[in-house]
Amino acid sequence: MRVAWVAAVLEREAADLLRNRLLLLSILGPPVVIVVGPVILGKLAAGRALPAGLAGALVAGRPEWASLNPGDLAAAYSFQQFLLFFLMLPAFIPLSIATFSIIGEKQSRTLEAVLATPIRTGELLAGKAIAAAVPGIAGGLLAYLGFAGLVRALYGPALFGIVSAPDWLAATFLLGPAIALLSVVLGVLVSARANDPRTAQQVGAVIVVPLVGAVIAQAAGRFLVDATGYALAALVVLLIATAGLRAGSWLFAREAILTRWR
Amino acid sequence: MVRGTGTPARRAWQTPPVDPSPTSADLAVRTVGLGRRFGERWAVRDLSLELHRGEVFGLLGPNGAGKTTTIRLLAALIGPSAGSARIDGLDLVREADGVRARVGVLTEAPGLYEKLSAVRNLDFFGKLQGLPTAVRVERIERLLRLFDLWDRRHEPTGTFSKGMKQKLAIARALLHDPPVLFLDEPTAALDPEAAAIVRDAIATLRGQGRTIVLCTHVLPEAERLCDRIGFLRTTLLRVDTPARLRSAHADGRVRVRLAAPAGPELLASLRGTPGVAAVEAAADGLVAELRDAGTGTPTLVRTLVAAGAAILEVRPEAASLEDVYFEVMGTPADGEAAA
Repeated sequence: MRVAWVAAVLEREAADLLRNRLLLLSILGPPVVIVVGPVILGKLAAGRALPAGLAGALVAGRPEWASLNPGDLAAAYSFQQFLLFFLMLPAFIPLSIATFSIIGEKQSRTLEAVLATPIRTGELLAGKAIAAAVPGIAGGLLAYLGFAGLVRALYGPALFGIVSAPDWLAATFLLGPAIALLSVVLGVLVSARANDPRTAQQVGAVIVVPLVGAVIAQAAGRFLVDATGYALAALVVLLIATAGLRAGSWLFAREAILTRWR
Repeated sequence: MVRGTGTPARRAWQTPPVDPSPTSADLAVRTVGLGRRFGERWAVRDLSLELHRGEVFGLLGPNGAGKTTTIRLLAALIGPSAGSARIDGLDLVREADGVRARVGVLTEAPGLYEKLSAVRNLDFFGKLQGLPTAVRVERIERLLRLFDLWDRRHEPTGTFSKGMKQKLAIARALLHDPPVLFLDEPTAALDPEAAAIVRDAIATLRGQGRTIVLCTHVLPEAERLCDRIGFLRTTLLRVDTPARLRSAHADGRVRVRLAAPAGPELLASLRGTPGVAAVEAAADGLVAELRDAGTGTPTLVRTLVAAGAAILEVRPEAASLEDVYFEVMGTPADGEAAA
C-alpha cells in the first residue's frame, strides 16, 4: 500500500467534508449535546438522593463509589448513563461520513475516473476508511476529554475520579475506536448497495441498536460493565469489523464497483 | 489552441494515410479475440483490432453495443473474459497498473468533485497519477489555460456549465500526458458551441500524435475526426476509413455536373445506354445509377459527349456515413424485428 495515494484520497475526502455544511453540522452537533447534557443533568441529579434500593445496588456493584456522598452518588449514576452515549459518537460519525462519501461518489459518478488511474482499490478503501474513522474516533475522544474537563472543573476531584476510572478509559479509548472501525465497514457494505445516504445510514444504524440496549439495561440497573468488560467488547467488535473488512474489500474491488454497484 | 469563446476556429481536416503493415512498435493498441462476458451474456466478443500511434479511431454503435465495455476493457478498468490485448506495449492483464498510467479516459459522465475547484480536482487526479508537485502545478496551469478555464480555476466545478465540465474532464484525462486516450461520447449533451470546442480539442490532441479511441453517436463528428471507424455490435462488424466506407456503399451512383440542364432527350438516350440502370435530372446536371461503376462510367461519359452535353464534372456519389451505419447495423425497424 502506497502512502502517497492513501494521503491523496484522505486529503480530498477532508476537503470535500469541510465543504459539506449539512454533514459537518450533523457531525459537530451531537458531541456538543453529549458533552453538555450530562454536565447539566449531573447538576440536577446532585441535588437529589437516589432511592435507597438503587443506591445500595450501585455501591454493591462498585464498592469504590461507597465513599461518595448521596448527591455525588446521584451525579455519578447520571454520568454513568452517558458513558455509552460517548460510544455512539464513533458509531454514527464514521457511518455518516462513509455513506455520504461513497454514495456521493456514486451519484456524481466520480469513481470511474478515480479507478481509471493507477490507484489500487485497497488504497482508495484505506483513504476513505481513515477519512471516516478518524473524525469519529477523534470526536468521541475529544468529547470525552471535554466532558471530563468540565466534570473536574464543576464537580471536583471525587466525581472526576469516577469519569476517569478504568471503565471509562477502556470504553472511550478501546471500545470507541473499535466501534468506529466497525461503523466504517458497515458504511462501506451498505453504501455499495444503497443509492441514498439517508437510507444507508438507517440500515447502518443497526450498529447503534446494541448500544441503545446497553444504555437501557444499565439505566435499569441490570448490569454495570467494568474495564475488562469494555476491553473484551472492544476485542469482539474488532474481530467482527475485521471480518466485515474482508467483505468490504471484496465489494471495493475495481471490477465490482464498475459492474455490480448500482 | 482551443478557444473558449466565440465561434471556434475550424481546422482543415486531413486524415493521414494509415500504414497497412505496421510493426508492433507502431501499434498503440493491439487486441486479439478480446471479449467480456457478464453472466451468460457477452457484452463484447472477438474484438481483434490494431490501432496505430497517432490514429483517431471511432467506435460507432447503438446503445448497449458494447462501446463503454470496450473502453473499460482497454483502459484496464475491467478484466477480459477472453482474448488478450497490449496497450502501448503493455499487457492489459499482467501490467494493468502500467496500462492505467499510460491511458487517459474521458468517462461517459464528467465525474468531477463538484464542491472542489477545477485546480483541486486536477491536483487530486494528478496525485493519483503519481505526478510530482512541480509537474502537477505546471500541467494544471497549461491545461486550464489551453481549455480556457484558467480564470475560473478556483471556483467549485458545480458552478460550471456542461461544456466547461467536459473540457475539465478532458484536461483531467490529459494530465499525465498519456499516449493513448479513450473518449466516451465527449460531446454528448453539449450545446453546439461547447461541442465544437470539444471537437477542436480532440483535433488538437490528434495533432499532438496521441492515439485516440472515440465513442460517439454523432456520425458527422466521427467522420470529421476519425482516421478509421469501427462499427460495433458486441463484435466489430466493419472497420475502415470513412471515405472507403462511404464509397463502398455508393451503389454505383454517379453525379454528373453539366453546363446546361439535362433535357428529356438526353435523359431518354441515357436510359437506353447499356449498364445504366436509372437516370434522373438534378439541379446542376443529372444523377445516374450504374450497374457497375467501373465499366459503366466511361460508357456514360461517351454517351454524354456524343449527345453534345457539356460536362463540367463526373464523380461517384458516396453514401453518407448514416447510410453506411444503417446498412451495417440494420435499420431501427430491423432491430425491432430482431428483438
